[in-house]
Amino acid sequence: MLWSKKKARTEPDNKALQDKRNKGLVLFDTVEEAIRSEKLVKRSGYACALVAPPPQLRKGCDIALEINLIEQPAIERTLQAVPYKEVVCLEGSTQLLDIVQVFEYPEHTMVKAGNMKLTYETGSGLIVNTSGGGCPDIPYLHIAMLGKRLDEIPRPRDVGHTLCALMLDRAVEGALEIWKKGDGI
Amino acid sequence: MLIIAGIIPLPNFSLLDGQVQREGTELKLNEHQIPSTQGTAAMISAALAVSDHFRMVAPRAVIAGDIGRGDGSRLIYQYLIDHLPRLKPKVLALHYWMPDLELMHQLCEQVKALETRPVLIADAASMYAAKAVGLASEFDVFTPDLSEIAFLADAEAIHPAYIDKHLFETCDVRSIPELIAEAYKNQGAARYMLVKGESDFVANEEGILASIAGPDVPALECIGGTGDTITGMCAALIYKGLDISSALEISARANRLAGARGKTTPATRISEIIARLPEVFRREINLE
Repeated sequence: MLWSKKKARTEPDNKALQDKRNKGLVLFDTVEEAIRSEKLVKRSGYACALVAPPPQLRKGCDIALEINLIEQPAIERTLQAVPYKEVVCLEGSTQLLDIVQVFEYPEHTMVKAGNMKLTYETGSGLIVNTSGGGCPDIPYLHIAMLGKRLDEIPRPRDVGHTLCALMLDRAVEGALEIWKKGDGI
Repeated sequence: MLIIAGIIPLPNFSLLDGQVQREGTELKLNEHQIPSTQGTAAMISAALAVSDHFRMVAPRAVIAGDIGRGDGSRLIYQYLIDHLPRLKPKVLALHYWMPDLELMHQLCEQVKALETRPVLIADAASMYAAKAVGLASEFDVFTPDLSEIAFLADAEAIHPAYIDKHLFETCDVRSIPELIAEAYKNQGAARYMLVKGESDFVANEEGILASIAGPDVPALECIGGTGDTITGMCAALIYKGLDISSALEISARANRLAGARGKTTPATRISEIIARLPEVFRREINLE
C-alpha cells in the first residue's frame, strides 16, 4: 500500500502549521554553541531564531536554532566551525532523501537524487547536463558544472544554498562513486 | 498580457520588467542580453517561439538575478505584489525562485484581489512554494515531473528533498494516476496538471484527460530546461486562448517533436531544442 506511512492530512488553510513545516531546527550540545551559531547565521544574512526545541526533538541542550529549511545547505556551511548535532524538520516529514537512482544511456549515465538529475559522459566523467529542481541556485549551478569533469567541479553543497543544491550534490556524490568504480579515472 | 516571472542565474543583476525579444540565440530585455539557458530564460524563449509563430504580442518578463541567496527572488515577489493591479496580466506564469512562503501567500492574496483573475501557472520552486503554503488549489496549472508529483502527493513534504522515502522509491509511470489522485486529495494540486516523464499526462481532479507518449526521445529527460520549455509554450498557448487541457497536451507534444526533429543526445543543450520549436510549430502543429 503506497500510503501506509502517511498520517491523516492537515487542513490546508492552517497557515501556522504550514509555516512550521518550512522550518528546521539545528540542535546543539551546549547553549554556548547555540548562541554562537545564531550570531554566525545572522551575520551571514540568513533569518534564524533561538527557540526551545519540542521534547520529542530534544537532543543535547535546551536551545535550538530555528532556520528556514530551504536554506539548510548554506546554513550548515556557515556552521562548519560549530559542532552542532544535526538539522531536523520542526514538523512533518522526517529525513532528507538519500536514495540515488541510476539510468544508463549508450554513452552517458544519468544519476537521479530526489528531484535533481545529473548526466555525465560514462567514460570521461564529463558533465553534459543537469536537470530538474526549482530553487534559485540551480540554473547557476547548471552553468557552473556543464563541460567539467565530475572530480573537478566545486561541490553543489559547498557553493549552493538550497535543498535542491543538496539533492544535486547527492547526485554528484553518487555519480562520482559509480564513475570511479568504472575506472573512469 | 502574458507575464513570466522568475530569476536568472546572474549575481547583482537588478530587477527588469519588459517585453522580451530574441536576438540570435539570446534573449533581449530592455537592452540587456539574457542567455537562453535552463530555467526561466528557457521558459521565456519557448513562450516567445509560440508567440512569434502565432504573431502574438511577445511575453512580458519580470526577472532578477539570483544565484541562491533569494535576494532577486524577493525583489520579484514584491514587484508583482505591488504592480499586478497596474499590469493586469491575463496569464501569470511563475517559475524559478526562492520558495518564500510568506511572500507567496501575499502574492496569492494580491492575485485574488485583482479585478480580473489571471490564469495562474507555477512550475519549479514557485510550485513548491504554492504547495508548501497550502495554496496549490488557487493555481490553474502545475507542470511537475515524476519526483515532483510524488512531492505534491505527499501531504507533509515541504520540498521534494523531503518526500517520503517509500513514495520516492515506488513512484514510476504506473503509479502516476494514484499520485495524481493523492495530490488532489491532499490539496497539493492545481486545477490542471501536466505530469512530465516517459509518458506525459494531462490531468485534473476528475483524473487523467490525455496522455502523450510519442515521439519517444528518452534523452530529453537528461536535458536541463526541457520542462521549462513545456511550461513556457503552455503559458503562451493559454494566452492565445486555447483551453488549458489542449494547451498542455500540445506543449508536451511539441517538446517531444522538437526532440525528435534532430539528433538529440543526453548532451544536447536546451538552446538547440528551443531553436527547433519554430519549425515544429510551422510543420507539425495544426491548431485548426
